[in-house]
Amino acid sequence: MSNSTQTGLGKYKENLLSIKKSFLGSFLRSGMPTSDKSRTAVVVNNFFLHLHGAKTHTNTLKPSYTLGLGLISFFLLVIAFISGGFLMVYYSPSIGTAFNAVKDINFVVISGKLMRNIHKWSGEAMIIFVLLHMARVVYTNSYKRGREFNWVIGVVLLILTFVLNLTGYMLPWDQLSYWALVIVSNIAAAPKELTDIFGITQYFDIGGATKEVLLGGTAPGQNSLTRVYLLHIILLPLGICTALGVHFWRVRKDGGLSKPDIVGDRETGVAFISPPQKTGGIFPTHKTYGLMELARGRTPAVDNDVENTVTSWPNLFVAEIAVFIFTLAGVIAYSYFIDAPLKEFANAAIPENPAKAPWYFLGLQELVSYSAFMGGQGLPGLAIAGLLLIPYLDREQEHFGIWFSNRQGRMVAIESFIVGAAAVIGSLAFVINFGWFRNWWPKIHQLWIIAINPGNLLLGFVVAYSLFVIKRTGSTRMGAISLFTMFLVCYVILTYTGTVLRGPNWEFYWSASQWPIH
Amino acid sequence: MIKKTRNTEGVSRRDFLGLAAFGAAILGSIGVLAGSLRFVKADVYSEESKKFKIGKKENFPIGTTRKFDDKNVFIFSDDNGLFAISAICTHLGCIVSPSEFGFQCPCHGSRYDENGNVIGGPAPRPLEWYEINQEVDGTLFIDAGKAVPQGTKYLFA
Amino acid sequence: MQSRFYLSLLLISSLVLIAFMGIAFNREMNPEWKKYQTEYKDFLVKNAKDASTRQRAERIQIGMQQIYIKSLERSDRCMSCHRGVENPLMAEAEQPHRQHSGNYLENHPIAKFGCTVCHRGQDRATNMREAHGEEHTHWDFPIIPSKYIQGSCAQCHDYEMLRQEGGEKVARGEELFRQKGCQGCHKIGGKGGDLGKDIAGIGSRPFAYFSMKHVVGDHNLYNWVKQHFDDPRAIVPESEMRVFLTDEEAELLTTYMMTFVTAEMPRNYTLIKNVIQPKIDGESLYKMYCIACHSDGRVSLYDEIFKRTIPAIRNPAFTRSIDDEHLRTIIKEGRKGTQMTAWKVSAAGLTDADINKIIMYITMNRPEKKPEPFGFLKYKADVRHGEELYNIRCEFCHGAEGKGGEGFLGINLRNPAVQKADPEFLAITVRDGREGTPMVSFGMKGLKLDNQDIADMVAYVKTLSQKK
Repeated sequence: MSNSTQTGLGKYKENLLSIKKSFLGSFLRSGMPTSDKSRTAVVVNNFFLHLHGAKTHTNTLKPSYTLGLGLISFFLLVIAFISGGFLMVYYSPSIGTAFNAVKDINFVVISGKLMRNIHKWSGEAMIIFVLLHMARVVYTNSYKRGREFNWVIGVVLLILTFVLNLTGYMLPWDQLSYWALVIVSNIAAAPKELTDIFGITQYFDIGGATKEVLLGGTAPGQNSLTRVYLLHIILLPLGICTALGVHFWRVRKDGGLSKPDIVGDRETGVAFISPPQKTGGIFPTHKTYGLMELARGRTPAVDNDVENTVTSWPNLFVAEIAVFIFTLAGVIAYSYFIDAPLKEFANAAIPENPAKAPWYFLGLQELVSYSAFMGGQGLPGLAIAGLLLIPYLDREQEHFGIWFSNRQGRMVAIESFIVGAAAVIGSLAFVINFGWFRNWWPKIHQLWIIAINPGNLLLGFVVAYSLFVIKRTGSTRMGAISLFTMFLVCYVILTYTGTVLRGPNWEFYWSASQWPIH
Repeated sequence: MIKKTRNTEGVSRRDFLGLAAFGAAILGSIGVLAGSLRFVKADVYSEESKKFKIGKKENFPIGTTRKFDDKNVFIFSDDNGLFAISAICTHLGCIVSPSEFGFQCPCHGSRYDENGNVIGGPAPRPLEWYEINQEVDGTLFIDAGKAVPQGTKYLFA
Repeated sequence: MQSRFYLSLLLISSLVLIAFMGIAFNREMNPEWKKYQTEYKDFLVKNAKDASTRQRAERIQIGMQQIYIKSLERSDRCMSCHRGVENPLMAEAEQPHRQHSGNYLENHPIAKFGCTVCHRGQDRATNMREAHGEEHTHWDFPIIPSKYIQGSCAQCHDYEMLRQEGGEKVARGEELFRQKGCQGCHKIGGKGGDLGKDIAGIGSRPFAYFSMKHVVGDHNLYNWVKQHFDDPRAIVPESEMRVFLTDEEAELLTTYMMTFVTAEMPRNYTLIKNVIQPKIDGESLYKMYCIACHSDGRVSLYDEIFKRTIPAIRNPAFTRSIDDEHLRTIIKEGRKGTQMTAWKVSAAGLTDADINKIIMYITMNRPEKKPEPFGFLKYKADVRHGEELYNIRCEFCHGAEGKGGEGFLGINLRNPAVQKADPEFLAITVRDGREGTPMVSFGMKGLKLDNQDIADMVAYVKTLSQKK
């Protein structure tokens, strides 16, 4: 090409011969990297990789720091997306064909049952891993220094994960789907309890309206399935992708994953590396940070050490691929053994007994059994509000990026675990043995039930106890650890109770094997 | 200040572990991909059977030409027996209609003679012939899923 | 070193992944039906009589079999295992290879009917457990046991034809249903009493509708219905059902119950040869609606289930003393406080014509001779004396409060049918008694009370409804 004397056809021939090289060059741009510079170029020049930094801090790669939980959650979403796309090949959202389509996927599609299991279990595993990821963020004190809003986005992602799972649960149109839809739509209608009390239901029936919009009618039917399908296939995935994009983007903008100010380095034998000493001025004495230096406000990339970093290619990507294959293998192994449930065809006349929501909502169902409004909307709303407020109420900047902050934090976590567990088990045991207001005074006004029920008391206790921790330790950070621990314990124990200990007619049984034979 | 960037360690050495790990990962991924792609094709679909009954042979005296519209099959009867020719054009699947020279396709002008051989237009293959069978009670049925060589005619007792 | 950790994780995970893809592939490639089809093919090849048969057998392709029937919305995949169902060579073979018994397939070609329309089971399933709809497979319509399978025939055929051509079980079941008075308590098509549950659609009711707690053996519809006929209270402890059937009769009735399905067959599947309605006279109506409680109506008996005495309504002593109009009122309006249903069109669905026929049947043996009139109005009744007499003479059977009921032989005297009845009728009953019932004559023929005493007693009984 440098030869300008070549004829047109000669150039054409030469281009033709070098097509492999030039195509690969245009596709990969920077070949196999050999130096730090080219390793950086790989990351920067690639659409899929440029979300990562060119260099990654060793602390980020430390398995014991992140436990890979966020990444696992993300990969579970990817697996759910892909397997869901495959399931759509056969599924059709009509109450006449949906059930048969799922049966066909189970029976006549090669790897159909496995695919459905993968979709189901990756989705449900997401709930567990998103919660664990949040726990990691709380316990490593990582919701600070510009990351406050990203925590908020994280909570939104948690809610979206729940709702995605729930809407997916309704698509097969079997008994589980139908009765979950009935229960959920009536939880949506629960504000009626409040409007009834004020006597304004006939003018302002917000609960009834929500239910009608959700169902596309007054009872579950074809419209409901269409709407749930719309939510599950388009709206919620779009929402979760958008929120996830912002979540990742902010992680990068906030300077990557959180890390302690001081990082030990075992390999070099150097015990600690202090952060760079920056004394002001655009260009410090010993290092240039580029344009980041000019940015104002809290851009935490400034001030962070560039020491203890490795190039992202290949170190970070090997880690990511490993976690991906780990996740995939785990999901497939689980799906191989455990089949996703599929009950009888939806029947509007005969509820399942017990009509249980999917397991991740059974904690709420336990609360709903006191008051539909408080259990289904009030308490979850307050719990979410509490989660959202954690980074704004605890603004102590010490111990950033350190598991449990210090010894005291670890003690507070253990203590809150025990106290929380005792509180929730105690309140459950009390209610199961002695009942509640409705059992004592059947004619009691609904307002009393809404205002004072075991769920509210439990929430009040959790809040009070974390305030007590703050008062005792003089640290809001300890309060945050305490609050989150108790939230997690309550969720787990209530879910366990609703899943295992509740049988027909929502009565208490030690295990499902004791249920009366239907 | 200790400056240290680790960049020549780990996988860049292409040690055995790295090779094995990536090899296994690629193998596993290919397996998953293959399984997933197989998913798109089901063993059976809920659709009408390709076999259908056409009645007794008395319904087809010599010289008959009948088209089963919903099945897109022509039935002919001549001295050498009954035979069934598909009405589906081998070019792009339109439905041919009988004409003075045999069959004519309306979509892209393919023409076939009365045995289904291509005599004009873009069609790449002759029209398919189908198997005709007789049940125990004498009822004839055509299996439109089973092509037979051109010129196969069936004589039934 | 971190990269070593991640590489090891990658290696181990990948190996696990490969292993599971391998066993999953193996599982997908070897479904249950493949084994049976291979057996079938091998059998045919081995037992081929000549070369051409062997060739044809060798050409059999192993693959999933399906009969899709659009108008029935079914995709029957049964033949994926039962491939020999049409093959006469397999007449003696073991299941799942055996040929279909009888000549049913001649008139019911598999391509048109499939299998599940008669046999039930899960059409789409491709493994035995789920296809047969065994327990815990979440399928409401398990495969129907062959002893009840004739219930499926009535989807398309009339009973007259079934009686003559291979459906005698279900036809006899239908007859029994009419003779045992099931409709006295159960509604079907809007006709029948209210004591029991509506039978419409029972044959296709979901599993969850039934309480399976006490069912012996597999928990399914068929066992529930059969065992419920055997002993209603063993299955539903609070049941009031009066049924006395032999084992065979229970089986026949169970078969008949399976004909009550909600889905209707498309018209081109049904074959109604005989449109003759069975003869519905007073006797058959009595059997359909009355016999379950009143038996043949000749003797009244204390019933342990109803906890009361069921009156003998065809007893001459009863029919003699009651006129048709009074009977009609009782039948149409029922008797409050007893199990007797109101049979008028708007309630249990009997037309006036039907009721007339029943009255004719009941009063068939009414004696020509009317009872001697009592002339109640001639007497000046003393209620207080009546009460004293009641406490001596009547209390033992009718109870101190006249309520009858549990543990008492007598009927409830506070019942509107008694309270609103003509005192003349009551007085005659007391004087002459009721043959075939525990009610004896209190008049000169029996316990020698004079008419004045009887009139006092009747007057007192008429005041019972005002007493607390």
